[in-house]
Amino acid sequence: MSGMNYSASADDALVKAARQGELAAFEELVFRHRDQIYARAFSMTRHEEDAVDLSQEAWIKGWQRLGQFQGDSSFTTWMTRIVINLCLDHLRKQRRHRTDSIEELDEDSGGVERQMPVVTVNPTAGLERAELRKKIDGALGQLTAEHHTVLVLHEFEDMDYKTIAKTVGCSMGTVMSRLFYARRKMAALLADVRKES
Amino acid sequence: MKLQAFLDGELPAREAREILTWTQRDREASSLLAELRNTRQALAKSEPHLSLPESREFFWSKIEREIQRLEPHPVAAPPPSGFAALRRWFFPAAAVSALVIAGMIAYFQAPTAAVQTVADADAPTVETTLANSDATTYRDASEGTTLVLFSYAVDNSPVKNKKPTAIN
Repeated sequence: MSGMNYSASADDALVKAARQGELAAFEELVFRHRDQIYARAFSMTRHEEDAVDLSQEAWIKGWQRLGQFQGDSSFTTWMTRIVINLCLDHLRKQRRHRTDSIEELDEDSGGVERQMPVVTVNPTAGLERAELRKKIDGALGQLTAEHHTVLVLHEFEDMDYKTIAKTVGCSMGTVMSRLFYARRKMAALLADVRKES
Repeated sequence: MKLQAFLDGELPAREAREILTWTQRDREASSLLAELRNTRQALAKSEPHLSLPESREFFWSKIEREIQRLEPHPVAAPPPSGFAALRRWFFPAAAVSALVIAGMIAYFQAPTAAVQTVADADAPTVETTLANSDATTYRDASEGTTLVLFSYAVDNSPVKNKKPTAIN
């Protein structure tokens, strides 16, 4: 146990201490970034309990793999990649246990997104930030796992098509198709929300 | 989907110029591009802020318990320096060798050393002078005293008594 002031230390210093086996330093990292990691897990799974479990698992894996953290990216980026991979594994397992939804069949048969009417008015214009977030969250919840996953990776994680394809384990064409569908569906859902309100 | 790739900056420059020209000519393409752009912009600044629905202590206690269950954790140690390697392997090996040598010396010299030690210390010794005679000698050099104990049967009794005889 060092005389380190954990709460006043930068992430890099905490990572270094944690690599030496200081659990208290790692606890501070968990405390700082637990919401962010949980939020990513939730955005991927859309399920609160699963997101809690997966974010917890991500932290444990993070501790075990600290020796592999090279510092090429920030610690939070590194942790986010861990939780994303765990979520993708989780979603793959879930997919094996469920029948395909109509939306997926539509996507596979090709072109339902092309038949949607174009939303000509910006459905989110003039909305307060908090209200917009709430509506986006609601709309994301109505997409299938495959669609909101691609959307989250592209829009929130700033991944390009190639990186998403590699991360998810599909072709770039599939990524583009899913992203296109997800965006068009989001536009339609947000337009509906605006009409209702 | 080419429109989307254009929006996301995933097209090579030449193709991007072609798409731009197309959207300037085609109203439907222009509308679709506007819709995709609006959705992207809405998402870009609106990731929902979520908080973990568990207290810090409770969440950490679960992680800590699991980490301790999985110990020892495989955190990478820095590669050992030359001196550290020497300290890690050479010193223990030297210590073991020294112990083995000391043990061998002690083993081969033990009888002599024991006698010498006893004699030097002037300490009392007890020895059985004649193995089958039931006589035992107690010698105390510091006191200048030697006791010899004889055991023999008295009056055909099966009990053996010992009578000390002082020799000065």
